[in-house]
Order: sequence, then structure tokens, then C-alpha cells
Amino acid sequence: MSKTRTSRTRTTLSRRKFIATAAAGTAAAITGFPHIAGAQAKVIRIGMPTILSGRVAMLGNSNRASAQIAVKAFNEAGGVNGRTIELIDRDSQGKPDVAAKVTRDLINNDGCEIIIDGEASSGAFAVQEVIRDLPVLCIHTCSETSALSADPKLFVKTAFRCARQGIHDAVAGGTYAAKVAKEKGLKRWMTCSPDYAYGRDNTAEFLEFTKRFEPSVEVVDQVWPKLFAPDYTESITKILQVKPQAIYSALWGGDVVAFIEQATLYNLFGSSTFFSSSIGDPPVLTAIRQIPEGLLTAYRYSRQYPENTGNTAFADAFNKVAHFDPTNWGWQTYVAMGFLVEALKRTNGDTDGKKLAAEIAGMRLQTPLGIDGTITMRESDHTIIGYPVAWSHTVPKAPFLAGFEPVAWENILSHEAEWKKSKGYV
Amino acid sequence: MNLEALVACLTSASCAVTQISTALIVGTLLFLVAAGLSLIFGVLGVINFAHGGFYMLGAYFAFTAYKLSGSFIVALVAGSLGAGLFGVLFERLIISRVYGRDLLMQLLVCYALTLILDDGVKLIYGAEYRMMGMPAAFAVAPVQIAGAFVPGYYLFMVAIALATGLLLWLGINRTLLGKTIRALAINPQMVGVLGVNTAALYAGVFGVGSLLAGMAGALAAPIRTLTPGIGFSFLIESFIVTVIGGMGSIAGAFIAALLIGFIRAFGAIGFPWFVEGLMFAIMALVLVIKPTGLLGREAA
Amino acid sequence: MRSRLRRDIVVGLILFFVLFFLPTLFPKPALRDFLIYVIAYGLLAMSLNLLIGLTGLVAFGHAAFFASGAYTFALLMQWGRTSIPVAMLAAILGTAVLALVIGAICVRLKNIYFSFITLAFQMFLHSVILTWVSMTGGDQGLQGGIPRPVFFGIDLNNARTLYSFCVVTFVLCLAIMRQVSESPFGYTLRMIRDNPERANFLGVNVVRMKLGVFVLSGAMASVGGIVLALFVSGAYPEFGFWTTSGEAIFMLMLGGTQLFLGPLAGALLLEALNHYITIYTEYHGLVLGVVILVIVLGLRRGIADSLFAYVTQRREARRIDEVKRPILQPTKNEPA
Repeated sequence: MSKTRTSRTRTTLSRRKFIATAAAGTAAAITGFPHIAGAQAKVIRIGMPTILSGRVAMLGNSNRASAQIAVKAFNEAGGVNGRTIELIDRDSQGKPDVAAKVTRDLINNDGCEIIIDGEASSGAFAVQEVIRDLPVLCIHTCSETSALSADPKLFVKTAFRCARQGIHDAVAGGTYAAKVAKEKGLKRWMTCSPDYAYGRDNTAEFLEFTKRFEPSVEVVDQVWPKLFAPDYTESITKILQVKPQAIYSALWGGDVVAFIEQATLYNLFGSSTFFSSSIGDPPVLTAIRQIPEGLLTAYRYSRQYPENTGNTAFADAFNKVAHFDPTNWGWQTYVAMGFLVEALKRTNGDTDGKKLAAEIAGMRLQTPLGIDGTITMRESDHTIIGYPVAWSHTVPKAPFLAGFEPVAWENILSHEAEWKKSKGYV
Repeated sequence: MNLEALVACLTSASCAVTQISTALIVGTLLFLVAAGLSLIFGVLGVINFAHGGFYMLGAYFAFTAYKLSGSFIVALVAGSLGAGLFGVLFERLIISRVYGRDLLMQLLVCYALTLILDDGVKLIYGAEYRMMGMPAAFAVAPVQIAGAFVPGYYLFMVAIALATGLLLWLGINRTLLGKTIRALAINPQMVGVLGVNTAALYAGVFGVGSLLAGMAGALAAPIRTLTPGIGFSFLIESFIVTVIGGMGSIAGAFIAALLIGFIRAFGAIGFPWFVEGLMFAIMALVLVIKPTGLLGREAA
Repeated sequence: MRSRLRRDIVVGLILFFVLFFLPTLFPKPALRDFLIYVIAYGLLAMSLNLLIGLTGLVAFGHAAFFASGAYTFALLMQWGRTSIPVAMLAAILGTAVLALVIGAICVRLKNIYFSFITLAFQMFLHSVILTWVSMTGGDQGLQGGIPRPVFFGIDLNNARTLYSFCVVTFVLCLAIMRQVSESPFGYTLRMIRDNPERANFLGVNVVRMKLGVFVLSGAMASVGGIVLALFVSGAYPEFGFWTTSGEAIFMLMLGGTQLFLGPLAGALLLEALNHYITIYTEYHGLVLGVVILVIVLGLRRGIADSLFAYVTQRREARRIDEVKRPILQPTKNEPA
């Protein structure tokens, strides 16, 4: 590995010329961006920063599919006040700083008047800061981190979250897990969640409520495989050593698929009851080749719950575009578009951030995806409530889930209020 | 740090056996990838940063072959040979043009290939995660050894990896071809003068290296999720292995891969927080004390 | 020597005025955003070139210092008791100390082993950032924004002021790097690159010289990190991931290692490339990969370097009678 360097001669002319040309050329190109001047052009441009490459490209694909369905329906119905929607999606590669840059570009350069933010947690926080600076309407559709909407320090007037929230899932999961623990006498628990912020927070909150509702639950050990780890053997064998009666896991997507396949080899599910935050995502269920029976999972999405024709119609339309059944991200973006379209109708096509925000805050949207046919955007903290949180268990045949058990939202809300107080958020 | 748990595990037969088997499962697969990386560096002097891509190709080829044929043996062969063939192509078309050039140039070419392969797979297979599933022949209850349970498939996987490693070692150290290859690593001009087609030999060695990565991918396909870019996470780890073991040394790669396997398996019990850090620390330590790695010699 | 200095000053001033007033001519936030990115990554690439181009040390882990600058600065600002310039100086000094410690271990190694060990340290730092959640926010990055209190009447909350501040900082750093590379120290480094044995014979303390430039280069990279942290109002572990180092290396290859401002041109080109590719396709890996292959296999060196070589060759051809040997030696077509 050696390289002799050629002798170099120094010239000055070429370098200056070259750099000047490069700089001038690029600058000219950048300043020559198409810019839709002023607000209220005929077409409403909606920008969507999301992740379209890398390990979680499915997130972006889901968001895009849902948004496209909604946009198509909106435009085919003639739009509002003669205005139609154009969707511009852009890849952030999952990097928060790129997400911020892309969002600024979408607003400043491409003339997007509305942002549907399809970023995962850390990206969503970065986008939130951009919206604080450039106050267009923004709906986050993928971040489940409670703080985004619960922490008043992060509040932005024109930003909303249309996604499930960690604390809601924690109360729902805790309620369900406590009930099962009591019935089956599950006392020794273990967790196996990915080692990053979402995995840790989600697991801690789930355990907090499970223990509160069933004090006999004891966590004997926790393993934290890396996010996107290809192999879980060392975690699985560690669990085998501890022999817990129940396991909670916040692994998701391809990770939980690999975990289930590898754990099945060790017959792990024969001896422990498995609670999962994410097996309920349809692509996970279909990717697992032989799904063990009786794994318990939180709701992500299901074409059979809520049980109505509107829901299955959405699932079919989504599958046609994306070639897989809707993910959790998919329905969230779809509902977000629902809020947006309804707000646009009410403002008669005015895209002013404040006006749209005033309509969306507190809106009770009619949607087949809500458990009572509606989902509400809570006015106080700009986040949705009344979405499905039912737990279910796996069955070997498609659609692989059965026995949906809803958890009462009154319960969730009262515990959430208490939790907010304990965090000093109210 | 949880030394108690570690000691308790080491003194219990079932725990020790389980974790040792874990170390072997993690280590041998890693060894296959790292051995390919090491072989290519040892003979061609190229650090193949695109190696993870061949792991991915092997996995996806196996996935498709299994879907079409339903036979795992066919899938394994298709994954290995497919990746190997791709390796030969890549060497002939691209890598051969940057031999002896700046390290950075080689690095960039490999980086470019990684980007292209990842997106190529995404174009063809889509961005969704996929699972090949366990072949029916292996869907048996775990084998019991000294109170510990080891899945049958893993026994098969470890056996294949070990046998391949042994064949590779014998091939390089005990055959005429191996001798020629070793000579090629030291003095390519001389080998060329002796009438050996060095270009073909280079391509062959690169192909074998890629084949090893592909075989690891194919072996992993039934138990690991496939997504574009899966080779990426593997790359850094196999890289650590090659550096610790010594660039160019197959035996070194074997020892280092097992070392990583043991750190993972027992680290999970004793010091889960420090597993990642420890691997980098060992790599840095080895580089400081003996830059050529445990069993490496000065690079040709 | 003096005329060279004068020329440097003129070039520096031109660069400064162009950067400074470009947003006045084209008052678009997007251009400013873009240029700040070029400045941040330009600093990373140019500081890396002190090691690669000037000294011949191929470092793979340079983003470690980029991240260290960003995190130290951001944490100090969030702590709330320092002003921006103090926090910047502290972050630069802190990174310099870090570079001193890492460098002291690394510079003793040669060739590829130097590359490996810098990579190992970077990955170690990256895993520390991820693990030390209470301090760094782990994978979520530092949140809650970075406050920008007014200092000396300068309010960086104003986007235009922030941009101007970044330009001034940038040109200052360039001036420092230029002075160093043109100083006797800089020429000693070139000698170490071209012939370390000879340098040793001449009584140069090679290790100390390498360590010196390693520290300087780390400190300069940290300024890039600070600029980016100031701009995105946060710090993320990606800053210290090995792909960021890879990007910097790619910028060097695009722009070339032989010219002082080459890496900056590379940063400009890559940022522009990224910008446009993301707009038009989600398969940017594919496009970028093909672009790299074309450059490496077609031009066989960085764009600026090839242009440089081309012009040099033309000029030399004109004075062919004076030339005793070709400027470009043919490359061997077999492994080293």
C-alpha cells in the first residue's frame, strides 16, 4: 500500500479560474431556482420531508402512498375554490439536519404553503424548529415521542401531530398487560427493546403503567440490542437464561421480524408470553414466515379494526399504490390529510398558516379510521385522541390478528393528565 | 458491569454452553465475511469497502432462488456463486482499473459500488423488509447439549462456515494454486513472468472473496431480515475483525471473529453497555501495539 | 514571497466579498442556507486536506472533530453562562486537546494503519455520543435549540447576521490555514509527505510535526461543526458518523487535494449535487455512485486536480524545450 506522489508544479492561474467558475456556476444555478412567488398561487403545494432511502424507506413509501391517495381524491373532486393540491416529497435520508434543510427548501424554494412532516422522531423535532421560524401549517405524521406535543416549551402555534403518542400507548398497553398478567399470573418480566431514545422511552413508560396497574409485576432484567441489529442471538440466549414469564419488546419493522424468526428457533415463545409494541403492523405480520400463535401486540393498523367498509376501502386503495398493506405511518398520514382537506374546505382554500391552524385545532374529523367514526385534534396541545389503541393476539392465518380489545379513552386521558403534571408540563 | 452475572453464567454448564454457542453463531458468520475481506486485501492490496454489498447480494440471490426452487441448497449455492460472479465482474470492470492507485481512489470506487448496489436492490426488490423464512428441514426442536439448547439450523450454519474456512485455509496453504496466490501477493511481476495469467488470478481471488461474503448472506437469509443496505452494518464489524486479526490473514480473521463473537455473547451478560466501545477499543489497542494485527505480516 | 502574500490577501478579500454580498444580490433564504452548508462542510474538507493533501496522512475519522466542535459548542451554549465567542473558543480549544490526545496515539502509525486507527477513534466517539444519553441526548441529538444571545451588539437570531458571521469566521479560518500551509512549517509537512526519511535525516521531528498539523486540522474541523450547530440549532450523532468523514473525503476527491481551495470547490460541488439529486430522485445513491465512478475512472483524479494538471500540461507543452521530464508519471496498472 504505497504510493509515490508525482512531483507537483504550482500554478496559480488555473486554480483561481477553476474555483471562480465553479462558484459562479453553482451560485447561478442555485439562485435560479423556480420560485413560486407570493402566497395563493392556483395550485396548493404541499411539501413532505420524509425518509425514502435506507433502512426505514418504508416509512416514506407509506407516507407518500397515503398522501397521494388523499391528494388524488381531493383533486378529482375539483379541489377547493378552484385550487388543487400538488404534493412534493423529498428524502431526508433519516438525518435530522437534512430534514431541517429540506423543509426550509420546500417552503422557501419550492413555494410549499403547507408541510406534512413524515419524519421519524429526531427529524420531527428538527422540522418543528423550522416551523417555529417559518410558520406555515405543519402536521407531523410519524413521531410518537410524547414530548413533541406534551412539552409546552416545544409548542408551535401552526404545528400539529397526527400520530399515536407514546404516553397513550403506554397507558393502553399497561392496562391490557396488567389484566393479562393478573389472569395468567405473570410476575417475572423481561424487556428486549432497541437501544435508542424511542425504544428506551417506550419501554420505560409501558413498564411504569403495567406496574402501576398490577403491582406484582417485577422486571428481572432488560436487554437492549442495537437498532437495526441484524442478529439477536445474544439477546435471545440471555432471555433464555433468565427464563421470564413475560417479555415486552419495542422492536419494530424488520427488527421485530428478525427477532421473531430467531426466537422461534429457540422456542422462546413456548415458555414466555410475548408483548409487542409493533407486531401489529401489517407488513411485519406478512413478512414473518411462520407467525407463532398468541403473541400479544399493540395496535398499529388493521384492515379489520375498526371494522367498517371505509377502513377496508382505505386499505385496498393503499395496497394498490404501495403494494403492501397500510402501516401505522400510512393511516396516520391519511388522517392528517383528512384534517388538512377539511380545514382547506373551511378556509375556502386559504393556506395561511394561522387560519388553517385555527380550523384544525379542536377539529373532530369524520373518518372511518377512528373508533367511533371520528378522531379529534385536541386543542390544548395539538395532538390527536380517540384513535384505535386496541390490543390483539396473533393467529396463524391471514390477517394474522384476532381478539381486538379496546381500552377506554377516558382512562387514557385521565392518566395522561396525571403524567403531564408529574412531568411539569402543565 | 455485572461481574456476578458473568461469573454465575460461566460456572453454570447450561449458561456457558449456550453463550459459547452464541459466540460461535455470531463469530463464524462474521468470519466468512471478514475472511473474504482479508483475502482480497492480502492478495490484491485493495480494501474492499463494497464487501458489505456482496453480503447483501448473496442474501437477496438466495431469497429469490429459494422462492423459485423451494430448495435451500439451491438458494445457498445461488447466493454464494451469484455474489462471487458479481465480484469477478466488479474486479474486471472497475477494481482492476484502480490497482496501485491512491488509497482514496479505491475507497471511492467501492463506496460508489455500495451506493449503486443498495439502490439497485431497492429498485428491484423494493424498500420493504423481507424474510426468506426457515426451510422446513430445519424447523425442528433445538438440540440439547449439556442442558443448553442450540437450534439445528445454527449447528448446520456453523458447520458450513467452519468447513468453508478450513477448505479456504487448506487451499491457500496446501495447494499449488494457493502457493501461486501467496506468491502473487508478494511479487506479482515475478508471478507474471513465470507465465501465470495474473489478471485471471486477481479476478478469481476477488471472486472467491465475494463468494464468501455472499455465502454468509445466503446463510443468514433464513434468519435475518433483508433490506437494501443490510451489508452496511456488517461492514464495520467485519472490518474490525480484519484489522484485529491482521489484514490478509485467514487464521487471524478466524480468531478475531470468534473474539468478537465471545465479546458479544458474554458482554450481553456481563457488560452490555460497553460491547460496542470495547470492540473499537480493542481495535485501537491492536493497532497501537501491533499495527499489522494479531497474525498479520507487513502488507506487501 | 511578498507578492504571494499580496496575492493571497487579494484572493481572500475577493472570496470574502463574494460570499458576503452574494445574498444581497440574490436575497433568497435558500441560497444562504446552501452557502452555510458549503461553509461548514468546506471547513471540514479543507481541514482534512491539511492532513491528506499537505502531509500525506489519510485520516478516515476526521468527522470526530467536526462532531466534537458541534457538541462542545452546543452544550456550552445550552448551559447558558457563556457568550457565543467564548463558547466557540472553548469548543475549538477543547477539540484541539481531544485531537492532541488522539493524535499522539495515531500519528505514530503509518499508511493504512493510520487510517484505521483514526476510524476506530471516530467510531468510539460516535458510540460515546450515542451511549451518553444524559449528556448528548443520544440518537435524538441535542434538543431544545441552541440559544443565540446577543454579543457586542451582534444578534445571530437574524438570519442575515448569522450568515455574515459564518462568512467572517470562514474566511478567518481559511486565512489561518493558508498561512500555515505557506509557512516553513507547511513546507516541512510537504517534505514529510514526499519523503519522510529525508525529513528525518534533516533533523525534523516528524512525529511532532505530524501531531502539530493533526491538532490544527482537528481544531479547524471543529469550527465547521460549530457553524453547522449554530445553523441547525442542534447537534446530531450523524455529525460524527463515519459517513460524514466519507463525505469529506469525497469532497476532496471531487475538488482535488493539490490546490488549497480545491476541497472548497469539492464541498460546493457535492452540496450542489446532493441538493439537486434529492430534488429529482430518491435514488440518489445510484446517481451519486455513477457520478463517482465516472470521475474516478474517467478523470482518474479530482476535478480540480485534473483541470490543474491539464492547464499545467498545456503550459509546459508550450515551453517544451525547458522541460526535462513529464509532469505526470504514468500510473502502474497493477497492485502495489
